[in-house]
Amino acid sequence: MYRWSLTLFLLLVTPFVAAQKPGLGLTHLPGRPQAPDFVLHDLDGNSYRLSDHRGSVLIINFWATWCPPCRAEMPSMQRAWEQLQKEGIVMLGIDVGESEDTVLEFTANYTVEFPLLLDQEAQVTGQWPVVGLPTTFVVDTEGRISYRAIGGREWDDPELLDLVRALQR
Amino acid sequence: MNQLQFQSRERVRARRGWVLPGMLLAALPLSAEVISGRDDESGQSRWEWREAGVSMQLIQRLPDQTRAFFLGRGFMRAEADAIGSTCVFQTIFRNDGSQRLSYDLNDWRVVRHPASSSLLTREYWDARWATEEVSQEARIALRWSLLPTRQSYQPGDYNWGMTSFGLPPGAAFDLSLRVSIGGTPVTATLPGIVCAADR
Repeated sequence: MYRWSLTLFLLLVTPFVAAQKPGLGLTHLPGRPQAPDFVLHDLDGNSYRLSDHRGSVLIINFWATWCPPCRAEMPSMQRAWEQLQKEGIVMLGIDVGESEDTVLEFTANYTVEFPLLLDQEAQVTGQWPVVGLPTTFVVDTEGRISYRAIGGREWDDPELLDLVRALQR
Repeated sequence: MNQLQFQSRERVRARRGWVLPGMLLAALPLSAEVISGRDDESGQSRWEWREAGVSMQLIQRLPDQTRAFFLGRGFMRAEADAIGSTCVFQTIFRNDGSQRLSYDLNDWRVVRHPASSSLLTREYWDARWATEEVSQEARIALRWSLLPTRQSYQPGDYNWGMTSFGLPPGAAFDLSLRVSIGGTPVTATLPGIVCAADR
């Protein structure tokens, strides 16, 4: 009885303990839907077309400056980008519905070196499966959405980065 | 071993047999929990509902906080006033459980006995601004800052957003909510929620 109780306890409790940590923090999207293409500009006026990055893994983060979890995850996104850019992985932040001045002001307080693109009319955002901010997608080398994360993450978590890197192979 | 020692060991084994299942019951989130208190960051009142690793927090927003937020995002004074005085809460959904969580705010009721009403969702505000001259920048800001009307969260996901309950500042109400956890409908009532007063 003692041994069975212990086994049952461990089997049932372990998943609850593990669930307190968001795991690897990415949800695999079955069927890997094709990522909608877009052309957006960054704060310097440079143009970015998603399909130009075919062959690279991309992390695409939809965010806004007023959104607390968006701000909270930005430093870890920067740290992740510092590692991933050397490996050819692309990171793009897409600001939803705000002006260039608002985003520029944000960058005065947060170090962000990866491109921040402006979707001022939220038209691109509306074409992606985004209903709340932040939402982040990982796109594979063939332009398909492999993973999604709703809400902020610790983007430099090695387990999470391993999932992203695995898409390159 | 004499008969007395044998009976004693059997009793200990029998007790051990109940101790661990007892620990198990204590560890599992078998029932919902509603707690209220003060939010550390804002100092405002907050209510939190938890069940099966899922949580939903409502944190009061002062009408002036909400007015200022929307004035800074393209709304005119009267429009920002209109939003700020509809009992707005900061809302945080979190799925730390092991199953998919989903909800539809249209299924929720704001109860002030004997009447009840719906939340003012993104769609409500979209329809309202359709007849008024509100800038596109402002509409986009409101749409994205409100909690999504429908959302699904996988384990590890969470979301913030404002919820608007359509009541005057200082009003009290019960919130009747419905979510789905792992495909199973779950209902709960959060009693005695109070909208922030207009200071």
